[in-house]
Parts: sequence; structure tokens; C-alpha cells
Amino acid sequence: MTIALAADERRGGGRAASSARSIGLAVLRRVGYAVGVLWGAVTVTFAALHLKSGGIIDAIIGQAAVSPEVRAQIISDYALDRPWLVQYFDYLGHLLRGDLGHSYNQGMDVTTAIGDQLAPSFELMAAGVVLALVGAIVVALLTANRPRWIRGPFAFLEIVGVSVPAFWFAILLLTVFSFQLHWFPAIGSNSFRGLVLPAIALAVAPGGTLAQVLRDGLERALDEPFVTTARSRGIRETAVLVRHALRHALMPAITIAGWLAGAFLGGAIVIENVFSRQGLGTLTVGGLGRRDFPLVSGVVLVAAAFYVVINLLIDAVYPLLDPRLRPVAPTTAGPVNAAAAGITSTASPSVSATGADQKGEG
Amino acid sequence: MSSNVFGVSKRVSLTLAAGSAALALAACGSSGGSAGSSAGSTGTPVRGGTLTFAINSDGTCLDPHQSPADVDGFFARSIVDSLVALSDDGTISPWLATSWTVSPDQKTYSFVLRDDVTFSNGEKFDGAAVKANLDHIVAPATKSQLAAGTIATYTGTTVTDPTHVEVHFSAPNSAFLPSLATAYLGIEAPSTLTKPPSELCSKIVGSGPFISSGGYVKGKGIDYVRNAKYNWAPKNAKHTGPAYLDALSIRSLPEDSSRYGALTSGQIDAIASVPPVNVAQLKSTSGFRIQTASAPGGNYNYYPNTAKGPFADVKVREAFRAGIDWATIVDKLYFGVFPPGKGPLSPSTVGYDTSIESAYRYDAAKANRLLDQAGWTGRDAQGYRTKDGKRLTIVHPFLKQFAREQRDVVADQVQAAAKQIGIEVRTTNPEYTSYIKDVAAGNYDLIDFSWQRASPDALRTLFGSAAIPKDGFGTNGSRLSDPALDKDFTDALGTTDLTKQGALYGDAQQRITSAAAVFPIYVFNYVLGSSTKVQGLRFEPQAFPLFYDAWTSK
Repeated sequence: MTIALAADERRGGGRAASSARSIGLAVLRRVGYAVGVLWGAVTVTFAALHLKSGGIIDAIIGQAAVSPEVRAQIISDYALDRPWLVQYFDYLGHLLRGDLGHSYNQGMDVTTAIGDQLAPSFELMAAGVVLALVGAIVVALLTANRPRWIRGPFAFLEIVGVSVPAFWFAILLLTVFSFQLHWFPAIGSNSFRGLVLPAIALAVAPGGTLAQVLRDGLERALDEPFVTTARSRGIRETAVLVRHALRHALMPAITIAGWLAGAFLGGAIVIENVFSRQGLGTLTVGGLGRRDFPLVSGVVLVAAAFYVVINLLIDAVYPLLDPRLRPVAPTTAGPVNAAAAGITSTASPSVSATGADQKGEG
Repeated sequence: MSSNVFGVSKRVSLTLAAGSAALALAACGSSGGSAGSSAGSTGTPVRGGTLTFAINSDGTCLDPHQSPADVDGFFARSIVDSLVALSDDGTISPWLATSWTVSPDQKTYSFVLRDDVTFSNGEKFDGAAVKANLDHIVAPATKSQLAAGTIATYTGTTVTDPTHVEVHFSAPNSAFLPSLATAYLGIEAPSTLTKPPSELCSKIVGSGPFISSGGYVKGKGIDYVRNAKYNWAPKNAKHTGPAYLDALSIRSLPEDSSRYGALTSGQIDAIASVPPVNVAQLKSTSGFRIQTASAPGGNYNYYPNTAKGPFADVKVREAFRAGIDWATIVDKLYFGVFPPGKGPLSPSTVGYDTSIESAYRYDAAKANRLLDQAGWTGRDAQGYRTKDGKRLTIVHPFLKQFAREQRDVVADQVQAAAKQIGIEVRTTNPEYTSYIKDVAAGNYDLIDFSWQRASPDALRTLFGSAAIPKDGFGTNGSRLSDPALDKDFTDALGTTDLTKQGALYGDAQQRITSAAAVFPIYVFNYVLGSSTKVQGLRFEPQAFPLFYDAWTSK
């Protein structure tokens, strides 16, 4: 008995240790993956900006009339005369020390340049994401499986929202709500009122896509037997929708969230320009035109980090919504999950890869 | 000096002018007397109030010693004073310097300075401050992309006593005083000049009528408050003492329709670069006014490569000049907001020669005759002229990415018009650095850019043999190398006599015209739209609206 106990304990301890190890490994793998993505992004940016014809020095000086001394000073300050491989590893070395370098054309450190613009960009994107999410969920809940006269107009508006160029829609919002009605300011990014129109303009296209995906998911879920079961237990329709169906509908929506993050980043550039907001958008466009490598690379790093974080969040959210994706814990296996396995077919193609990953690591 | 494409980089605001700012419509220099300005002279100026002004582009570096961009010079103009001030007619007025003399060999300028001027940080302005500023401009570490070039032959400053300085050059430079009058050679507080250049990019300290303690914020703009102690306005200003406005706020609104809408809805008091399509509408809207001022210097011009290719033959250049109805293209496109150019210079440039205008008339018959004479008599299947079986093709590298003011439409229309006389214009859209490389190597037949500058010395920049593109970009796009022209320019630099300069620059314009070395497109007009509450806004000859005399009525 004592022997058996000891063996049990040993086994238990072994399980704890192996689980700790596997969690550690998983975290390591995640970090490695993130570093790999960031390194890849920087390398591709470096290649794109350096392997084009023409010297970077020409792009920096452009049409300015500078003396040979100034030209030489710029070349030596930015080490442009060194072989590109040396420049590349030099840049990586600085990156490891947290130094993003000095912008060629903005007259400031990249860290400062990006730091100044990060908050307004983040504000705009956060507002856009919240708006798109809340709007899409509300619209989807209100219109799923409803008669055509309710569903139709919303579905139409979603298509319009996705199709209309954000630029044009932003100008329209400005013209009506700022220039005509004077409800919101056209300039000034520091106030809440100044954030309303840009956030709407940014949210409308991704919001439209999300609403369609969500409604589609809801309608599929509502046709499933477990909904009938829930209703037969006397649960109110709202609760059926929110507590049971929405959970299933959210899976595909979350899967496209990674893609939507890209839409928000890209859309922000246009929106920042129309609303004359501070932000990373204008900074990036200007930097690209002049092959301002440190600046562009800095922005690319921020964007890549953003993607990595979003993808991590998505991976973390899946198991919350879909118990099948939770770390293997025998007690949770049961008929309910078996049912769920059959139900969430909509989510399966894109989820499965991540799901398997998750299981393996958990 | 400098090109005045307001809002865009001051380097030749090529089609490109590169940089984020470049996408914007740009505005420009005035001179020729604030043309068409009804610039509020109604009523007595009122003290107080804030003026919000929106421009079409974003700054890069606030320090005018470093930056070549018009927008940066414009931001800095309210903060820094200059030693002298330039008037529209080319005359120089006292500012921080009360008087000056030029040595007989034109190489030494002696200034007598005011002794009652303090910078907004409390420092006193004196001879040492002048020396510190000029030395800062030419120091390689400053990496000046414009200012240093305007005083390239500077050898040093001698401070005789706090109110007397001598500035030395290695060669005569009659363009020095007009350069000195620009914000690019503005005087900053000497103690700030020891800071790293990047710090000066966001904040500068001067002795000017306005103070900006927050400095320039990228993507937002810049806020100023009045310098209450200001009592050293330039002699050509309309009043003395502190500015009328309590505060001034300049915002960057790159999108044309947003900027225009912000003005008409009363959210902004005045804007730069009213879109040409909205000019007539704004003029007829009560409560608003348009002020225009024409930019001095080179127009937006096309320059043929006179060194090689089909345009090496002067007859082909003349034919191209006569065979395209440039004026009609421009009038149709810009609704009269930008008039057609009729010579290498803008009419508002001091020393502009009207006698050459007739050479730029449209005459298709003459063009065809000239092309026949040049031997381009054959025709191929598409109707283009040929010589020895080779098609008459003109290669025009055009940076579409940076095109502003619908210059891409101009290029399309020129292409279509050239086809009528049997010339194929091949407009390419190269990447920025390969464009610079091609220009440097002379691999083009036609290039286009505008180069504004408040002095006929712009001609030297545009047609002097020293400016032929070699290592990088150069402003002599036609690659004209004429010793007689170069002599005109050198002689003009050697005299400060405006009449003598006029004769020399007149001769230069004649020579350039008979060489058909330029195809003028349009004269850039600075188009400023404002509420009628805004009074006293005027332009300095360099292009920038000046806020010192401005006030707002309630």
C-alpha cells in the first residue's frame, strides 16, 4: 500500500512536472514564434527598401541642393557607405538593445516618432474595434432568423458598408455631421467628440463583414437540435440567442478577427488622412516614399507585434468558447461536448489547426 | 530663396517633392505685390483673439537651418526674425540689422545690429548670436538641406563688437541679402543651437512676434502665443510693437475637401491651398474671401534634355514649344486659378522680361514645318514622325506618386497634343531613386518640376551649367551649358545694383528662349481662403502668409 501510494505520488508528481514542462515549452514556442515573426518582418522590410535600384542617400536628399560635405555627413551618420549585410546586422544589433534608430527624414528618433503617434492610432483602432464588434453583435442578434423586412435592409446596409470606399464614406460623414450639422469637429484628435466620426468611418466596413458572419453563424446554430432542447426546457428566446447560439456564432467571427485587424490597420491610414488625425498612417506613407528604412521598419515592427498579440488573444479565446479546445482534462469530457463537436461545424476549418495546436500545448 | 512650394519640400518641388507632404496641393510664394488681395484693410486693427489656420501638408523638421521644406520655413517664420527683410519689389529693409554695407569686392557684408532685442528665452541678441547662427547653418553636423546651400561660399563671421559684425564670402554673392531675409537663415537663440539637431526639429527659440512653447507636433501642427515684448518688427511691416493676435494655431489638414469644408463650416479661420475647383465657389460665398499671390521664380515648367536625344536639335525643341497649345490645356484644367506660363520665370519675379512672351505662342503649322526641316519627315503606321526609320519618341520620366495639382492630367494632355504633330511622348512612372539616378545620368528627354525663389537668380539655379545634374538631382533639367549665360549669372551675382542685374537677367531670358530650353506650363499662385473676419493677412515675397499684422474682427 505504501508502495502503491508512493507510486501514485510519483506518478502525480511526474504529471505535474511534465505539465509544467509542457506549459513552459508552449510558452517558449510562442515566444519563439513571435520573435520569428518580428525578425521576418524586419528582414523583409530591410530587403524591400535596400535591394531596390538607386542609393538610399538619393532618396534622403531628393532634390535638395546640398553641399558635398553635407552629403558625406549624412552618409557617415547613417552608415550608408557600409555593405548592406553589415548595415543589416548592425540594425539587428541595435534592435536587440531596444534602439530603433534615427529616422532619415523626420529629424527625430524612431522611438519618439512612433511613440508620439501610437496613442492616437491606438485610440482610433480601439474605438473602431469596439464599435464594429458591438454593432455587429447587436445587428446580428436582432436580425438573425427574422422576417425578410427586418433582415433585408440590414443585410443590404452591410453590403453597402463593405463596398463603399472608406475614404468616400469618411468625407460623407464629415460633410453631413461636421460641415452641415456641426455636431462633431472636423479637426482635433484629442477630444472624445473628435473620435466619433473617424471611429464610425473605420468600423463600418469590418463591422459589416462581422455582422454577416455572425448572423450566418447564429442562423445555423438556431437550426441545431440543442437549441430546440434549450427552448423545450423553457429558456427565454433572448437567453437562447445570447447564451447558447451566440457562443457558436462567435467562433467563425473570432477566426476572421485576425484578418480584420489588418483591415483596421490599413483603414486607419485612410481615415487618419481624411480626418487630419495624428497617427502612424501618415508617418508610414511618408517614410515609404523616401525609403526611410529605420522609420518604416519601426512601424512594421509595431504592426507585426500587433498581429502577434491579436493572434495570441484569438488562440486564448477559442478554448473559452469551445470546450473541445481546452487542455485535456478528463472530467470535462462528456455528452455535452460530444454534441458541441457536431454543432460547431461552421468553425471547424479554421479553428481546427489552432485547436490542435492548443491541445498539444495544453 | 529656395523653392516656394508651400507645404511641400522646398527642394525642387518636382512633380514629386517627395515625402508625405508631397501629396498635398501646394501653394506658394507671392511677390509681384500681393496680387488680388483684398487683404483686409477695413477698420482699425483689434488686439486679441486666436487665429486658426490650416495648411495642406505636414512638417518634417521645425528648424529652418536644417529643413528644406516650405512648410517648415512657414512654421518657423513666426518664431524667428531675420537680419533683413525682403519686399515684393526686391528691395531690402532693416530688421534685426539697422544698416549694412557691402565691400567693393562684394565679398564682405558689414552689419550694424539692433541692441534692444531679446530672444523669448531671455537671451540677448548680439553679434555673437549672428555668428553662432551662420556657423550653425554651415556646420556639416547640422546637415542643412537648403540654408547652407544659399551661402555655400560663406567663410566666416567676425564679431567686431556686440552691434557690429562682418560676414565673409570667398566669392561675390549678391543673392546673400535676399537669402538672409528668408526664415531659413532666421536667427535662433544661440544657447539652443548647441542642442542635438533632432531636438531643434520639434522646438526652436527665436526673437519673433510669436512663441511656440510646445513646438511642432507631427500630424497635428503648431500652436503659438504672442510675444508680448516684441518691439523690433521689420521696417516693411504695417505696424510696430507686439502682434495683434493673442494666439495662433496652425493645423495640418492634408485632405482638400476636409480643409475646404472646415473653412466653410467655420471651424477654421483661414486655409492655404484652396482647391482650384472650389475657388469660384468660395469667392461667391458671403463671409469668405480669396487672396492670391503669384509665386516668384521658375514656373511649373517642362525642361527638354538639350544634351542628347531628339531634343538635342533646337528645331525639335522649338517645334514642341510651338506645336502644343499649352495655354489652353492649363486654362481648361485650372479654371484660371493658375495662369499659363509664358517664359522661364514667373511674371512676379523681379526682372521678368515681358518681351519674350510672344515666342511661347501656339503655332501648329510652324511646328510641323520645323519638324520637316529637322528631317523627321517619315510617318509610321500609328502616325508618328520618323527619321531613318526611327520614331520621334520623347521619354518623360514622371513621378505619378508625387504628382500634385493634377500634373498627371497635364502630362496626359501634353502626350495627346504631341501626337497631333507626330511626336510620341512616352510617360514613364519610375520609382523615386531610379528617377534620381536617371536624371543624374541624363537618361531622359523631358522632365518637369517647379522651382520657386524670390529672385531672378533662380535662372542661375535652373540654367547655370553648374546645376546640371551629375551626382544626384540637379536643377538644370535642360542641361543647358552656355558660357554666355554663365557669364550673365556670374556678373549678376557680382552687382547689387538692381538695374544692372535686370539687364543681365533680361539677356539671360532672351538666350534661354532662343535656345527653346524650357516649356512653361503654369504660374503657381498661392491661393489663401479665409473668413472675412480675418484681416491684415499678407504674404511675404517668399510665399508664406505673415501673421504679424493679422487680426480678427468679432
